[in-house]
Amino acid sequence: MDILTFIIVTAVLAGVTYFVRIIFLSHALVFLYVALMVILGISLGNKAGESLGEFFFADRLGLIFYVVLVIVSLLSAVHYIKFVHDRRVVPSSVALHNAGTILFTGAIVGVLFTSHFGTLWAFMEATTLGASVLIYHNRNQDSLEATWKYLFVCSIGIAIAFAGILFLGLAAHKVGHIDFTFAAIKTEAPRLNPIWLQACFLLVLTGFSVKMGLVPLFNVDIDAKDASPSQVGASLSSVLMNAGFVAIYRFYDAFSGTTILPWMNRLLMITGLVSLFFAAAYLLKVKNIKRLFAYSSMEHASLVIIAFSCGGVGYFAAVLHLIMHSLAKSSLFFQVSQMHRIYASKMDDGIGSYLRINPLGGLVLLLGFLSIIAMPPSGMLITELMMFQALVAKNFWWLAVLILILVLVIIYGLAVRLLGILFLKKPLAKINTGGASPYESILQLGLILAVFYIGLFRPDFIVRNIELALKALPL
Amino acid sequence: MINFVIILFIITLIYLSKVEMVKSYYPLMGLQGLLLFGLALLELHEVDALQLAFILLETLIFKAIFVPLFLLRITRGKIHRHQNSPVKGYYAVFIALVIIVLSFITSHEMHDEFLDVKYFTAATSSILIGLFIAINNRDLVTHLIAYLVIENGIFLLSLALGSELPMFVNAAILLDIFTSVLIMGIFFNKLKDYFQNTDISQLSQLKD
Repeated sequence: MDILTFIIVTAVLAGVTYFVRIIFLSHALVFLYVALMVILGISLGNKAGESLGEFFFADRLGLIFYVVLVIVSLLSAVHYIKFVHDRRVVPSSVALHNAGTILFTGAIVGVLFTSHFGTLWAFMEATTLGASVLIYHNRNQDSLEATWKYLFVCSIGIAIAFAGILFLGLAAHKVGHIDFTFAAIKTEAPRLNPIWLQACFLLVLTGFSVKMGLVPLFNVDIDAKDASPSQVGASLSSVLMNAGFVAIYRFYDAFSGTTILPWMNRLLMITGLVSLFFAAAYLLKVKNIKRLFAYSSMEHASLVIIAFSCGGVGYFAAVLHLIMHSLAKSSLFFQVSQMHRIYASKMDDGIGSYLRINPLGGLVLLLGFLSIIAMPPSGMLITELMMFQALVAKNFWWLAVLILILVLVIIYGLAVRLLGILFLKKPLAKINTGGASPYESILQLGLILAVFYIGLFRPDFIVRNIELALKALPL
Repeated sequence: MINFVIILFIITLIYLSKVEMVKSYYPLMGLQGLLLFGLALLELHEVDALQLAFILLETLIFKAIFVPLFLLRITRGKIHRHQNSPVKGYYAVFIALVIIVLSFITSHEMHDEFLDVKYFTAATSSILIGLFIAINNRDLVTHLIAYLVIENGIFLLSLALGSELPMFVNAAILLDIFTSVLIMGIFFNKLKDYFQNTDISQLSQLKD
């Protein structure tokens, strides 16, 4: 299957799913779509690094995040079945959600494999539309508010990013006719006016910050993760964040051979630091567990951007960190759904003794907590150490200390809430122990153990593919 | 002729910044669509039939006809005056003028041979005034208008830069913008039905 056929199939299948009002059939269509994704993945894997026509290529970085996308999409679909059953979701809502899931996932596939800045923008905008449908799922005041804010701010952000692409067009006038493919821009970039390239990168970073959950447009992302069903929060915190990173990376890579490279690194560093500061500040006061995880995602996005801005080993650390974060965070968001079924609350003061009430779920939460705070045996410890190594290699000692302090504040904030939920007895209004779902927890545990495995053993195929994906970047 | 059309476009921006009656937005948005269509026709000399059809679809049908009618339909004439905004009347006009002057000075100081100062001024003014309208108003319908003003600025910018995006990409971009306006309209209606008014202060349930 080629990518263009897959994109067309996505649009058709999303349309068909919207009109299917039999719940079982609607779920089956999503699983069919995931199966098609696997087939596409095998096909693209055999063509790794090759061009796939005018607008697409089987990019290795795209392939890495594509594997994560397939895993998270499959597990989201599995968890949604339980969600629909427990909440007695009406068929029309299921149809809309599943159609939105297919549209959203297809748009992310487009972002990962496009080789053209114009289509990259179009696919990013399509992720906004797909995500809006998913966020609106619960159809209550919160979801309505979150959807409107997300749609409005994302649309403004994406419009700003488009202005950035137009500035790139202005810069490209200097060398006559130029297409907007990544390869063409990268070849010509050293001859282009650096002022316009800087303006382009600044606007693109601002516009796509909402997708990655960074300053300045992070607020709506937090609200969206809070108001949407947990499996949607999992996707926003993992695969959408990865897509945002890939989009920013495309511009960074294209301009990396120009004189603005140090400026881009400084800008990324500042963005990462300010985001980390906000994440730490908000994490201390937040009591809603979904918002807690949303701010934790912001922390990890900040660390990724900081690592990336250091270059060298930081590039590798950033990509590996994103992979592991996607697995750990989606697992935690999936678990929140179970907690909500048991306690009928997402506020930490209404949840307690979780390890006793739901031992397997509690284990997922405990190991997930260890993963996201980068405690051994979490693989994220390795990537965070690499980030500090990259900072020290650049002689950014004081920044390393500042980042360490902010990370410690975040660990404190997470520990106070999550350990309280796991171990403390609290006056609980009502508990529905039937809400625990061992098969769901086992799937989530699998994701967390994968994070431990990647950290402890660093599988050769992952390391080699990341190195190949990043080889075009300057050292 | 191009200068005249651009000046008219900038005047619509100034007027948009001070509008208080919601019904005044619709003809202004329609006029902006018409002006953009005129500019596209005047600017693109070597336009082929397919491209002309595309521009016609994007400006004349979408921006000048569909958008105003769609806005009229979703407000259904029930929302007459938008909610109080911090900067009103001639103060808003003053801020719009400052934005336009600063846009002109910035464009002029760029000293780029490929940069058309008048287009760039109008485009950046439209984007910034759109942002100003969004920040200055606490009303959902005005936010929708602000987004459309920003999109018009982006269109003008693409015209100014003569961007050579392929037709496939242009079509995808138009489809995205069309869909986002449509979906925003749908959610606007839902919000209006839910809260019985369109003041954004109602949207403050989600917080830490």
